[in-house]
Amino acid sequence: MQKRSDERLVAYLDGEVDASEQREIEAWLDSDPAARDRLSALAESAALLRSAFDEVLHEPIPDRLIAAARGERVATGASAKIVPFGRRQGASGTPAGHGWWFGLSVAAALLGLLLGGAVAYLSVAKLLPAGLGGKQPGVEMAAADNLWLDNAAGYFKLLASAGDGGLIDVPATGDPGEALQKISQNLPQGVRLPNLKPWGLTFRGARLVVAEGRPAAQLVYSTDNKAIGPLTLIIGSSKEPDIAPTLAHRQDVNLLYWRHQGRAYALVGQTDIGYLWGIANDVAWQLDAI
Amino acid sequence: MSVRFGDQLIAVLPRLRRFARGLTGSAVEADDLVQAACERALARQHQFQEGTRFDSWMFRIVQTIWIDQVRSRDVRKENGEVAEERLGSDEPVRRIEARLALDEVKRAVDRLPADQRTALLLVTVDGLSYKEAAEIVRVPIGTIMSRLARARIALQLQLEAGGGMRRSTNDAEAQ
Repeated sequence: MQKRSDERLVAYLDGEVDASEQREIEAWLDSDPAARDRLSALAESAALLRSAFDEVLHEPIPDRLIAAARGERVATGASAKIVPFGRRQGASGTPAGHGWWFGLSVAAALLGLLLGGAVAYLSVAKLLPAGLGGKQPGVEMAAADNLWLDNAAGYFKLLASAGDGGLIDVPATGDPGEALQKISQNLPQGVRLPNLKPWGLTFRGARLVVAEGRPAAQLVYSTDNKAIGPLTLIIGSSKEPDIAPTLAHRQDVNLLYWRHQGRAYALVGQTDIGYLWGIANDVAWQLDAI
Repeated sequence: MSVRFGDQLIAVLPRLRRFARGLTGSAVEADDLVQAACERALARQHQFQEGTRFDSWMFRIVQTIWIDQVRSRDVRKENGEVAEERLGSDEPVRRIEARLALDEVKRAVDRLPADQRTALLLVTVDGLSYKEAAEIVRVPIGTIMSRLARARIALQLQLEAGGGMRRSTNDAEAQ
């Protein structure tokens, strides 16, 4: 029985249950604190596991592997010559002025898309035409952010699976400002609403969620444009240092997150990286979160 | 060899290295494994079906070679190598603790049975779906599901027993 329960919880965490089973599991979680604890522990160990192995992605690729991939003959077991390359801008990167880092990141991210995501992790000087080396996409996930990003992706999936009007604590009926005010009452800091209509996104309402262990607002946007929406924007308070916008993935969910002056932001959706960067740029400008 | 084939291979190298590192528990053996997989892929590129997932095909090659290696000899482990190196450095204590927590996770993964470890690395670490993982390992989805659940529970128990969960997320922030 316990084995079956564990399988269900793991499958639920992995987004591998259908809608009816998801509802059953959520009802079970609502009524069983022990199951919630177990789910939380499973999520935590999964985040740790990813952190433990993700560092490999950021290591330079040994020459011998690149040579092997290119079909050049190399001796197995030959000592690897590691060719160092500059680290991508990481968590300590501080923007020197408004907007430049977003522009660079957009260009870099689009370049990364064109070339295939994983190329971003390689020595660009080796793989790209001369002159492009050194401008690598800022597509790096900080290990520390695993858990709350897991949650942010989970909140998005819950919302997406619930459909229109589902799971919204404060719907934006009439005056959107009113919904925002209600949500803000439960938060340490008030939240402003970015206008994303130029992107075809309509504000549907807000939910109270948890980000970095603190209450946060999840702003919900929908659109008829299936290439973009739906999208959620989580805005919470944070005691962590500022970080530049960083891309993360959780299965079919993309997240772009950053911290600025005591606030944590995460734009979450299933749209592609280019749209996410563009919309995040807009959000950051409107909220002075840059 | 077509340029496109080589480009695809290079693009997937970081993920293959991560997968191989998890399977072997050793940086050197992992790179040997990936190198062998590249060579086999190039030799059999005519077998790759356009329109199917290249990364899944490569994961399958890595896994197949690794199973062959495990069957033919004991796989040497190099646990502790990174931790010792880091302990000798001037990293802040908190960062060292975080590093140890992550090393503990790797050791816990090493102790899992091979089939559970593979499922864990494909799904939980690499984010593949159960269906994709099942196709790579060539077992039914239900088998992946049960292997994964057993692996996740075993991992959690090992981490709780070793204190890894207590050091977990907050400490990892120092990374």
